[in-house]
Amino acid sequence: MKKLTIVLALVLGGLVSLSAQAIEQRAWHKEVIGKDCKVCHDKGIKQFPSDQACLQCHDVDDLAEQTARSEEDKWQNPHNNLHYGKDLPCQECHGEHKAKKPLCSNCHTFKFDKHQE
Amino acid sequence: MSNIDLLGRRNFIKGLGAAAGVAMAAPAMAVSEKANGVKWDKEVEVLIIGSGFAGLAAAIEATRKGAKDVHIFEKMSYFGGNSAINGGLFAAPGTPMQKKEGVQDSVDRMVADQLKSGRGIADEALLRHVASHAVEALQMTIDAGAEYHPYLQQLGGHSVARTYQTTVSCGAGITQPLYKECQRIGVNIHNRSKFEGFLVGDKGEVVGVKMRQNYHFGEDQPGDVLNIRAKRGVIMATGGFAQNVDLRMAQDPTLTSEVGCTNAPGATGEGMYEMFRLGAIPVHLAHIQSGPWASPDEGGFGYVSNYSIYNFPHSMAINRLTGKRFMNEIADRKTRADAELACRDEKGDALPPILITSYKDSKQHPNTKKVIKYNVGWKFDTIEELAKHFDVPLKPLKAQIEEYNTYVKSGEDKQFGKNMTKAKDKFIEAPFTVVRLWPKVHYCQGGVQVNTKAEVKDSFTGQPIPGLYAAGEVCGGIHGVSRLGSCSIPECMVMGMTAARSMMQA
Repeated sequence: MKKLTIVLALVLGGLVSLSAQAIEQRAWHKEVIGKDCKVCHDKGIKQFPSDQACLQCHDVDDLAEQTARSEEDKWQNPHNNLHYGKDLPCQECHGEHKAKKPLCSNCHTFKFDKHQE
Repeated sequence: MSNIDLLGRRNFIKGLGAAAGVAMAAPAMAVSEKANGVKWDKEVEVLIIGSGFAGLAAAIEATRKGAKDVHIFEKMSYFGGNSAINGGLFAAPGTPMQKKEGVQDSVDRMVADQLKSGRGIADEALLRHVASHAVEALQMTIDAGAEYHPYLQQLGGHSVARTYQTTVSCGAGITQPLYKECQRIGVNIHNRSKFEGFLVGDKGEVVGVKMRQNYHFGEDQPGDVLNIRAKRGVIMATGGFAQNVDLRMAQDPTLTSEVGCTNAPGATGEGMYEMFRLGAIPVHLAHIQSGPWASPDEGGFGYVSNYSIYNFPHSMAINRLTGKRFMNEIADRKTRADAELACRDEKGDALPPILITSYKDSKQHPNTKKVIKYNVGWKFDTIEELAKHFDVPLKPLKAQIEEYNTYVKSGEDKQFGKNMTKAKDKFIEAPFTVVRLWPKVHYCQGGVQVNTKAEVKDSFTGQPIPGLYAAGEVCGGIHGVSRLGSCSIPECMVMGMTAARSMMQA
């Protein structure tokens, strides 16, 4: 919980300083990625990263396991869901430089408490 | 009542744009050009745009007919289009399950039901073509691995039970198996690929397309545009335009952004309008259908829509102001949507009606658990509790239930003439489950005119535009004024298969 609070504080702090900095970055990515834009922007700086960029470090099977739900709600797993299986690109719900909501919330009221906008 | 953010993420995204002072990227202007002198970046055999039912069926059928290099291009980051987020309901006449359940049905009967709902302006030849091949298309989904509930449903406007539904109660129960089948047989599927116009030969034939790469929907971030030559031609399976508020309001000014919509965000119609620019014939664009089974308590199609579709035959829809029924619960969609929109309070404000079902019957469908758990539907042990919760006058409501139950017994609905076959022995009694109803924009009956070969006709010559085929919701005129539920999936599948066959024979 404490860890979460610290992370949250970092994120909020980051949002406030948005105007001061040109590019905002997720706190947990700062340490591992640093300021090397090309780590993610594999198609050039002016383009969005490819859908494979995040998968250099993240494994969709692991993520699906981490976000698994009960048998009854198994298809609400964002990383292995009813509509798109494991194929939904990360950037659909996660933004590095801006806030995003889960795609599911277009139509559904169930929540993802750990998802960070 | 509950104060739920009905549009959720959509409004959130819109809000973000406004807050940051950033205009949402306007759709880039797509324009067709002469192919003369164009430098081709890529060449494919069969080029399909859109990855819903029609596009996937076309790709599988083209491969079965011998095509070796089939490509599907999808503008969104994910595959399946609107086909991945609907009810997964598939109507077909003369199916194995009808035989098992002893339902008498035929192509003629299914076409007759659809012509009635089409109110005189449906295309009989196309309806007959689709109904005649519906069982074949159903088989294609089963062969790919789609699974269906072991019972039939009788949807509004259908004179018999002829509708299959996937076990996951969603179109994804079909798109996911078809998508995997496409991967298995070597179809090339590209996401984030935005169609930007046709490339046209000297005789007006479609010889290729312009395709933007690394496209991010709703973002101002242009990737490179490739000129792709299509050796056999192009199949447009780009869907409807229900999510394009400007275009739908141009047809029907009542369909403002305030009116909910069940469609995927990508249903914005550029492919269709580009075909019009090329010369395709626009048909019935103003006939835009709203789904009468939708709920104002969640966004899009959500969980309630399937709950209602399943339960309508053995449920009562009640006007909360009067405590009385106000429609045949299984009339066609337009009849019901219009009746629901007329449910208003004394001031004329919207008063979403309620659908009352006996829990013993509603619980047979898996979505009932979901609607209760996620607070978009409610369970009541007594009629008093129910009436109080929705502020419905108790006495007339009780009298209505008593009256309706006599119709269940006699098999004849003297109030609204509802077909009571599926209501047999299903008396309305406690405990109850209830959802609120309010129509949402669901389907565009209009689009480009096609013939039974899925060829797109030219408005000047009346002849097919060479090299161009279309299938699915992007086509218009097939269903007339109001499409019957569960008739779009067979249409998309059959016309996708048809387009592939025509192209491979051409």
